[in-house]
Amino acid sequence: MYELNICHLYPDLLNLYGDRGNVIALKKRCEWRDIAVNVINISCGDVFDHTKYDMIFIGGGQDYEQEILEADLLEDKADELKKAIENNKAVLAICGGYQLLGKYYKTGDGKTIEYLGALDLWTIAGNDRLIGNLVFECDFLKSDSFDGRVVGFENHSGKTYLGEGLKPMGKVISGYGNNAQDGFEGAVYKNTFCSYSHGSLLPKNPVLADYLISLALKEKYSDFTSLLTLDDNIELLCHDTVIKKIIK
Amino acid sequence: MLSVIAGKLAIIACKILKRSGTNMPGNVAAKIDKQVLKKLSEPFYIIMITGTNGKTTTTGMVSQILNENGVDFITNKSGANLFGGVTSLFISSVNVFGKCKKNTALIEVDEATIDRVTNYIEPDILVVTNFFRDQLDRYGELYSTLNKVRSGILKTKKIKLVLNSDDSLCASLGDATQNEVLYFGVEKTAIENTDENNISDASFCIHCKTKYEYSYFVLGHLGDFKCPKCGYSRPTPNVKCTDVLELTTTNSRIQFSIDDNSFEANINVAGFYNIYNALAAIACAKILDYPVEKSISALNNFQNSFGRMENIVVGNKNIRLILAKNPTGFNQILNYLFTEQRSVHVAFLINDRVQDGTDVSWLWDVDFEKLAQMDGHLSQVYASGIRAEDMAVRLKYAGVGTEKIITEKVYNQLISTGLDSLDTGNTLYIVPTYTAMLDIRQLLKEKFGLKDFWV
Repeated sequence: MYELNICHLYPDLLNLYGDRGNVIALKKRCEWRDIAVNVINISCGDVFDHTKYDMIFIGGGQDYEQEILEADLLEDKADELKKAIENNKAVLAICGGYQLLGKYYKTGDGKTIEYLGALDLWTIAGNDRLIGNLVFECDFLKSDSFDGRVVGFENHSGKTYLGEGLKPMGKVISGYGNNAQDGFEGAVYKNTFCSYSHGSLLPKNPVLADYLISLALKEKYSDFTSLLTLDDNIELLCHDTVIKKIIK
Repeated sequence: MLSVIAGKLAIIACKILKRSGTNMPGNVAAKIDKQVLKKLSEPFYIIMITGTNGKTTTTGMVSQILNENGVDFITNKSGANLFGGVTSLFISSVNVFGKCKKNTALIEVDEATIDRVTNYIEPDILVVTNFFRDQLDRYGELYSTLNKVRSGILKTKKIKLVLNSDDSLCASLGDATQNEVLYFGVEKTAIENTDENNISDASFCIHCKTKYEYSYFVLGHLGDFKCPKCGYSRPTPNVKCTDVLELTTTNSRIQFSIDDNSFEANINVAGFYNIYNALAAIACAKILDYPVEKSISALNNFQNSFGRMENIVVGNKNIRLILAKNPTGFNQILNYLFTEQRSVHVAFLINDRVQDGTDVSWLWDVDFEKLAQMDGHLSQVYASGIRAEDMAVRLKYAGVGTEKIITEKVYNQLISTGLDSLDTGNTLYIVPTYTAMLDIRQLLKEKFGLKDFWV
């Protein structure tokens, strides 16, 4: 019997846009396949030992709450989180969480705030909020039966830029993406996936959810081959309907 | 006054064209005379109601209290709570010379609009119900909305405040004025099980960012909070609910006290959260020096506004409309559904137009898992509205059996199927977001006859 431990980082602080739906989606999709899941909530002051988890999730939040956790994340948990990323743990980071994994954040008044530095990316505060429905196409999800399209909703004023060696998660089909300039959305490094997309992201993108679950199982169990197929009619109807609505 | 005349013509035009015309006439008048709102509102005694949840219901309750006390007043219809709507209220109430016989105004104001409105209006009383995350794509972050309300209060001179003691965000407005401030809240003795802190929009001290300690929660982040570092804590409420004697699907009976005197009241609208709205209305009446008996009578006679627990009788069955705008409101409605003794048939209508909030991610902050806990007690759940498919996905992941989930976007069909599946005497609960509420209500009006809300 397979078992996965999912660490939800700062669920009490980075919980603004329904991002806990991603943890719900991962948990349910595992349980429907008889894969046991333990969700461990880790926040400020809690010990974070990356070896204990198979998947890590970090969401987005308000500036107010983000400031509260910065010291804890960038000092106490920094080493362990960097190790998790380097050691191929499956990590999903959304919006604020995405930004925090980068090198720095430059504010509107030109101040530079150093962030985790786990990924070669940085964010610059913008004047306008980039808000709206988002569709992007991920090559790594493409197959004979799937066009790789992921659908969600973005709401961010920060513009993120990726360094030379860092790959985006997908090509923007509709929406702004990372910075409303280069036509790309998100970032991928080893088994770490970053995106600005809320929605929440995973529930109506079951192919992506299963991709992350498979990565985690592959890392943990040498005998794992592939996931049982689930009846995703409800999810795919939603996925297709919303995309059709956005791309008229 | 030219601006008044123009505004009045706009109102007539809207009626002829059968448009709701709640905000537009006021905007037309303001274009002609920027100070029109200031000029028209000056002679009035002004009571304003704002906050995230409960504005309309609290305004309705205070309306009823004013009626019971024989006060002639003007008030705006729900949906007309933005700047244009507030101005339209005065336009429609005065004659072409800008005069009005009535001298009290009871106005519901959108929380993001208070700051602008107070550039022109000097409110005598401001009731702030609460602050919850709501439509983040419209309002930005919660603290900026709170700060906007504070900024509005700071501009005024004679304002008296009615604030929610259990809400750390709302209560923090108490220091924005030197005038009278009354607090309303729920005591520990009134709650059976303290609500699990599922989502909290304010866990950290507004002054020093330390995590609050709570001796009990009532709902969401509302409860007896205290900051262990700087000491900021729940102020003692002047009007407090000390016991809940009965909670049914149609009303709540409570025991409450004002300072040291104890009273009982029957609130003619269901839902624990409406107890807060009733307490706010009672506190407002206290500032006005009205006899408590009249407030109690008002609550007993209260008829709620469209879409707020609105009951429609269809033959030997019922339809109940309950507006849902944000996660906390939704969670309270789900709690309310547990009071239904019969099997639960509920439809969720989720739209994503501007007034509903274009981002439906918030559905994942609602505790729909509660529905799954109902097990056999839950008969049928309908997913409807523009984003019906997202609602269906949410229900599936909440653990509601897929055989119980029906996705039906055609409202006519939804009502037929919903009513057909109902057993005699039972109720079909319809829980829509704002524009879905307007749409379904239009249909129900045509099918079963209902009042136009702006008439």
